[in-house]
Amino acid sequence: MTMLTMTGPRAATHVPPSHRRAVLTFARREFRDAMSSRWFVLYTVAFTLLAVGVSFLSLSGSGSHGFAGFGRTAAGLLNLVMLVVPLMALTAGAATIAGERERGTLLYLLAQPISRTQLLLGKYAGLSLALVCSLCIGFGLSAGVLAWRAGGVGVGSYMVLVGLTAMLAIAMLSVGVLISVVSRRTSVATGLALFVWLVLVFVSDLGLMASSIVFQLRVQEIFALAAVNPLQCYKMGAIVHLNASLDVLGPVGAYASYTLGPAMPWVLSGSIVAWIVMPLLLALVLFNRRRSI
Amino acid sequence: MRTAIVAMALLAATTLGQQPVSVIEQRIDRTQPGSTLAIEAGVYEGNLQIRKPVTLVAQGDVVIDGLGKGTVVDVLAEGVTLKGFTIRASGDSVTGEDAGVRVLAGRAIIEANIILDALFGIDLRESPRSTIRGNTVVGKDLEAERRGDGIRLWWSHDAVIEDNIVRNSRDMVFWYSQNLCIDRNRVSESRYGLHFMYSHDTTLRENDLEGNSVGVYLMYSNSITLVGNRMRNNRGPSGYGIGLKDCDDIAISGNALLANRVGVYIDNSPSSMDSTGIFQGNIFAYNEIGVLATPNTHDNVFTGNAFIENEEPAATHGRGELHRNAFALDGVGNYWSQYAGFDLDGDGIGDVAFEPRSLFGQMLASEPNLRLFVHSPAQRAIEFTARALPELRPRPVLVDPAPLARPPVIEVAFKGQGVVGSIPMALLAMGLLASSALVVVFLARERGLDSRIARGAT
Repeated sequence: MTMLTMTGPRAATHVPPSHRRAVLTFARREFRDAMSSRWFVLYTVAFTLLAVGVSFLSLSGSGSHGFAGFGRTAAGLLNLVMLVVPLMALTAGAATIAGERERGTLLYLLAQPISRTQLLLGKYAGLSLALVCSLCIGFGLSAGVLAWRAGGVGVGSYMVLVGLTAMLAIAMLSVGVLISVVSRRTSVATGLALFVWLVLVFVSDLGLMASSIVFQLRVQEIFALAAVNPLQCYKMGAIVHLNASLDVLGPVGAYASYTLGPAMPWVLSGSIVAWIVMPLLLALVLFNRRRSI
Repeated sequence: MRTAIVAMALLAATTLGQQPVSVIEQRIDRTQPGSTLAIEAGVYEGNLQIRKPVTLVAQGDVVIDGLGKGTVVDVLAEGVTLKGFTIRASGDSVTGEDAGVRVLAGRAIIEANIILDALFGIDLRESPRSTIRGNTVVGKDLEAERRGDGIRLWWSHDAVIEDNIVRNSRDMVFWYSQNLCIDRNRVSESRYGLHFMYSHDTTLRENDLEGNSVGVYLMYSNSITLVGNRMRNNRGPSGYGIGLKDCDDIAISGNALLANRVGVYIDNSPSSMDSTGIFQGNIFAYNEIGVLATPNTHDNVFTGNAFIENEEPAATHGRGELHRNAFALDGVGNYWSQYAGFDLDGDGIGDVAFEPRSLFGQMLASEPNLRLFVHSPAQRAIEFTARALPELRPRPVLVDPAPLARPPVIEVAFKGQGVVGSIPMALLAMGLLASSALVVVFLARERGLDSRIARGAT
């Protein structure tokens, strides 16, 4: 346990909680904070409304012919998730440490008999849970609409979609927390988070498109570059599960499914897991090293 | 494989009684031409040759086992009927074209047989006026390049091919055979479901083609009519529901083309100047591309079709547009689910022409690798840019002057189609909602949290 600079007087009667318990306590606190945060609730409501709307509109338009194709429902949900979920997770993560720091409460929290690692992990766990809950509400209501209109996506595929989305959200949260650790103020952290969102959602794809045309990249190069982006991995993973075939994605998808074969889902989710673990580790290192509060 | 066959043979020998096929051949030799022979249940091993016009009917479970060598049943006389047999284990010689049943004379009736583990299933050579009805053919478990055809016709005019099921095969293929009747067959997990080579004047009705590389591929075959067929999930590098290569006078109506990579692929059809291809009242739904055509394609007419949720309704294979084809006939166009126009006079015809312009689609035509970015926000961004900046606006790939305001009612029977059960989905919905609600309630209920943290500091 790292010894912290004690800034406040400690009560003599206090019994230090166990390590695990400390993490859990912070996780719960963070979860409750998130649930009562205006922004978080707003994102949840927006995501839910959009998800339900997409499911409803896509099914009401033409009838589904009783056929589970990769139609507008799946494509619409994917697009929605890729826009909203990273935004939600990045901003939520970015606010967490920077917000405490700006309000001065970080000092107060670090005065507790716990390590910085425990504090950060606790906050991270609480926020992850809050994000997953918020996604479950959106996907749950959307599944309700799909069940009512009887069409669209299969149950197994839908569960995989929810799981993948949760992974994506947690990965984006890791990046957000990393941003939060290095930012002194909430506004800076949020700005950085928005910038990263813009890069991941639009700039990297458009840049890769442009460079694939300008430099005439080969399919394996395009696939390797795309697989670095967790959003692309999420999309490819979702399509593999919903459609069982990557030829939706043209020559690059065909190349990927030909060379990787059954390892495909593992490679894609591996990339997302890397985006969960690496920024979080980096955030932990930086947070522990950073002496200034 | 060999041990499995031996084991099966041993098992069969102990339970059913195992005899050489010469038993059947001797019985044929003893009967008059034209008579009917009932064959008792059992396993008959070897290569059966039928040299007399007789009717062979299986009584119970009759297996003819080729033991993995050569063609299992050879029909050498005209007017033979073969009904109700299980025919298995042909050789796998591609040069020998080993088959389950090979017919070398006309007017054969091959009915209600099950053909397993055969390189070619049923091979009709110069056997006109034959009938192949209600058979099930499952190909050998070989890689795609080494498979044979499930059903093949070679110079066999006026044949009837109906109610057959073919799986795990190469093609159901028709060479130089005219005036066929091809109804209600199901081909899946094969290369080309129904493959026409230089075979003219035929109607295909209500066939089911699912999970093949191509559903129906017509090549150099004229005057073919497709009615009420279903092409589903035909994907892969080709991945066409229907492919047309140099075919004149094709009429395609009332078919369903669902979730194929490409609904209809047109390569230089019609190839003659005075011919017209008709596409009327078909459903094109959930395909990546509804209609894909080479830029030189001309004189096809699309009317009364429903284009529903195709990623691209129509595209050219390469650069260019489809302007040499008509997308309306006598003021009746097609239904396009992307159509954003309106129908103020309420006559069912949209008041604005349907002119799909997709910058991303245009980019895809010249840079196919960009398809990786389909279904992503970046794609939407590109389309939005094209709408916002008129200089970037691409030319429309097609013009439908009279788009339908509502999808036409198209009756295509879907049997055994797995509608996604709504009850599991409802359970999933409830599960997701309930678990999140539980977590929220459980964690939010704890009131002492802040006080506990606060206690630590006081």
